[in-house]
Amino acid sequence: MRLMKTCCLLLLLTCCFPLFSQVKYTASGTIRDKSSGETLIGATVILLEQPRSGVNSNAYGFYSVSAPAGNYTMVISFSGYRADSVKIILNRNLVIPVELGNEGIALQEVVVSTRRRDANVTAPLMGVQKLSMNEIRNIPVLFGEKDILKTIQLLPGIKSAGDGNSGFYVRGGAADQNLILLDEATVYNASHLLGFFSTFNSDAIKDVTVYKGGMPAEYGGRLSSVVDVRMNDGNDKNYGVSGGLGLISSRLTVEGPIAKDEGSFIVSARRTYADLFLKLSHDTDVNRNKIYFYDLNAKANYKLNGNNRIYLSGYFGRDVLGFSNIFGIQWGNSTATARWNHIFSSRLFSNTSFIYSNYNYLINLNSTTNDINITSKIEDYALKEDLQYYVSSQSKINFGFNIIHHTISPGIADATPGSDFNSFSLQKKYSLESAAYISHEWSPVAKLHIDYGLRLTAFTIFGPGNFYTYDDAGNAIDTATYAAYKVVKTYFNPEPRFSASYLLDSASSLKISYTRNIQNLHLLSNSNSSNPTDLWIPSSNNVKPEIADQESIGYYRNFADNNYEFSSEVYYKTMQNQIDYKNGAELRANENVESQLLFGKGKAYGWELFFKKKSGKLTGWVGYTLSRTELKIDGINNGNWYPARQDITHDISVVGIYQASKKWTLSGTWVYSTGNAVTFPNGKYDVNGQVVFYYTQRNAYRMPTYHRLDLGATLVTKKTAKKESSWTFSFYNAYNRANPYFIQFQQDPNDASRTQAVQYSLFRVIPSVTYNFKF
Amino acid sequence: MKGTVIFISLFVVVACCSCKKVIHVDLNDAAPQIVIQGEVTDMPGPYKVTITKTVNFSATNNFPTVSGAVVTITDNNAVNDILAETAPGEYLTHATWQGVPGNGYTINVTSAGNTYTATCVMPQPVPLDSITFQQNGRFSGSTTISVVPNFQDPPGIANYYQFAETINDTPLHKIYLMNDRLSNGKYIHQDLFDDSVHIKTGDVVVLDMYSIDTNVYHYLDEMRQVSNDAGSVTPANPTSNFSNGALGFFSAHTVASKSAVAK
Repeated sequence: MRLMKTCCLLLLLTCCFPLFSQVKYTASGTIRDKSSGETLIGATVILLEQPRSGVNSNAYGFYSVSAPAGNYTMVISFSGYRADSVKIILNRNLVIPVELGNEGIALQEVVVSTRRRDANVTAPLMGVQKLSMNEIRNIPVLFGEKDILKTIQLLPGIKSAGDGNSGFYVRGGAADQNLILLDEATVYNASHLLGFFSTFNSDAIKDVTVYKGGMPAEYGGRLSSVVDVRMNDGNDKNYGVSGGLGLISSRLTVEGPIAKDEGSFIVSARRTYADLFLKLSHDTDVNRNKIYFYDLNAKANYKLNGNNRIYLSGYFGRDVLGFSNIFGIQWGNSTATARWNHIFSSRLFSNTSFIYSNYNYLINLNSTTNDINITSKIEDYALKEDLQYYVSSQSKINFGFNIIHHTISPGIADATPGSDFNSFSLQKKYSLESAAYISHEWSPVAKLHIDYGLRLTAFTIFGPGNFYTYDDAGNAIDTATYAAYKVVKTYFNPEPRFSASYLLDSASSLKISYTRNIQNLHLLSNSNSSNPTDLWIPSSNNVKPEIADQESIGYYRNFADNNYEFSSEVYYKTMQNQIDYKNGAELRANENVESQLLFGKGKAYGWELFFKKKSGKLTGWVGYTLSRTELKIDGINNGNWYPARQDITHDISVVGIYQASKKWTLSGTWVYSTGNAVTFPNGKYDVNGQVVFYYTQRNAYRMPTYHRLDLGATLVTKKTAKKESSWTFSFYNAYNRANPYFIQFQQDPNDASRTQAVQYSLFRVIPSVTYNFKF
Repeated sequence: MKGTVIFISLFVVVACCSCKKVIHVDLNDAAPQIVIQGEVTDMPGPYKVTITKTVNFSATNNFPTVSGAVVTITDNNAVNDILAETAPGEYLTHATWQGVPGNGYTINVTSAGNTYTATCVMPQPVPLDSITFQQNGRFSGSTTISVVPNFQDPPGIANYYQFAETINDTPLHKIYLMNDRLSNGKYIHQDLFDDSVHIKTGDVVVLDMYSIDTNVYHYLDEMRQVSNDAGSVTPANPTSNFSNGALGFFSAHTVASKSAVAK
């Protein structure tokens, strides 16, 4: 609480400062790509004559720099683009739209160096990682399907949940502790085909930012990370079609102006067609099987006038799995975002968003005797307001609020009268997640940048519904019935955020940060792989909000004129109200699912090293993480600390992209990690003639070490201003390593007196080829 | 239902390009633990209780028997039977009594100075009307035959069922379970899904259906989860109804049987 008060006081003080300083004028505007009109996020604007005047364009390309009246040279730069400079006479507030071109700049080649290429050193934010779409485009992935979620797992501190799993662990957090946003809408299940692919079609994506710690106050709702994905706006100058033909899927994107320079649209679609091969089979049992997914991204924007622009964006994705006509399951996310950018003044930028998000699944069981359909859904309506006030070039205030209305329908089953099952309807759960925040980015003296703020969250659970109290054995001992909109419980939580960087010299800095995060939606998944039927539950009278406090400290250094960057970060995180499950927990179709849970705490700490080469023919990085994650849950492991499943001691990733010629780009990635913690048997015994394994300690063993090399090559066959075509070749798991997927302990099928351990591997070497085009 | 989802995930895995190999895993030794298994049914006795010990994973499947234990079974009425050890580790009741549905049975085992106790109430019997067979397609195109028990689940109360198959006089060491959590009061004709080929056309199949109590059901369900669906849950020892840390379980259950030729 004292920290909060100090924050508020500082905030008040600094807000008053500019009132007493000399008259300043502001240059503001939007920064765009010259050929497509796409806004550029995170471009840098500085006034050469004004020290410490650098600002970055925001998520909508907006920038605002202020300085005393005078003549200035404004330099605008963005990685991968030719920098531009504009002479300005700042004697009044100016609106200066900027367009940057990237013609004649080869991939990865950076033409200008401005001071702000050292933003990684100077900015106070820690644990932030941005990947350019160029990097994502060139990194080889499974089946050649470019995948942003797979690519971010190559960064230190972010670990894959395993082969064939889109889930990932950030700094010891569980897979459900990542806030994945697509144009601000929460994506509840970011995987396709049970985790082989992520829901993001990279053709439709403009920008990806990952926060592992030190999240800005505008983000909240998950403990471990924020993955902020922004969709392309569409070309507002020319119509274009691009796409790709791959071995298992194809993609097509159409974009163009609604009115030239005023508005644009983009529609991007993707579908896999592995199932079409099943259709070729003559066996009716096989050719009636279904397995595919598709997704559709669409976005449009229109400029009403110089100060107002509206955006509409949406995503719809669906997975369909069917086993003959007996069993079918389909699931998917849909999101929609309507946004209004409003520039109140050259210093005050506002964005208002209305957001809809939906995740649902549908299961059909049909047999001669049984016919049952089960549906489940989570649905959000949200209002979000974000304002940025550019006080001066050294001071910026971000503030806003958001309100999300969650409706969770855990399951409705509809059975035919002759079925073995009864129809049922689990009661819906209603909650309201509200937050207000304010934060201040401030550089009080030349070498110090700080970003501090406070987010206040309120999570309200309300009726209609029955709310149960359980005894230790999990029996409901009391039921309270609430009418519609009657408040059951409200959890208030302050989330202080603080980060600071101190420049040691022109190329190195020291940073510290402290972050508190709260999570009020929890994913129940008592299995080692992600399942589309995993259940989200809100905090309740029994389930308390999860809380994480993270402190980190880091050293950042750039070398050779910022061509190389190096960072070393240490973090320590404590987590409260963590969730685990009782033995044999029944999580499905259970009204009393909360009685199946166990609660405890966790801690995670680690050291991350990152070394990146940012320019030249060879670019790429090496990341290393040394870490530990432990849990202490009442009722598990006799209440002693034990390693969490995501406890992975060593984790190394190496990424290299080599521009061999104008036509060829070669790339490779290598990953190595200690096997995750796992429970293996220590002994065995006999029950009913069946061998049963005997366990003594939770997660006391390790899976075998995981390592894998992926290789890729891109051949550009045609590249003109209008037309482009290229081939991408890749080898996933190039040296054919049998990495463990799971280990099964079983009776030896050849020797009834023996038992054995069998390791299953998912992917051996997988070659793939994709043809990409654009016209 | 849960099994089906897991099955589907596994079939996707297999359909892709899985491969498997036997590996050596360095597993720690564990101090031997006592394992008690016993039953009382509504069929004529004697009923058997076996007491064994655990062995290390790498050992052969020869489980040491525990002799010299004092084993008693009592009910809330007249039964008070001290079992006789007829073979090493095997203890039999005396044929003077028979299990009765609704009665609570308590087993007491004293061995090497430790006492282990379990209690189980025998549920009311549920009649098995008939068994039929169902052909199931597999992803690869071939089919398996599974047994379908046909019976009326009694409405209003929670029922738990265990099924045991005997194929051509050979018991199949595979545990099938059902409960009526989502099908209370329904007429049940759900197949006992088997993803392996155990039954062939023309085989004589005997199906025993046990009405078991909730603790025994949960024990067997947890045991099935950790021994079959590899990787689907974090494994742990099933929750035994024995006190004092003994492994195994004690079940008082009814038995209903039907036999048919597979087709």
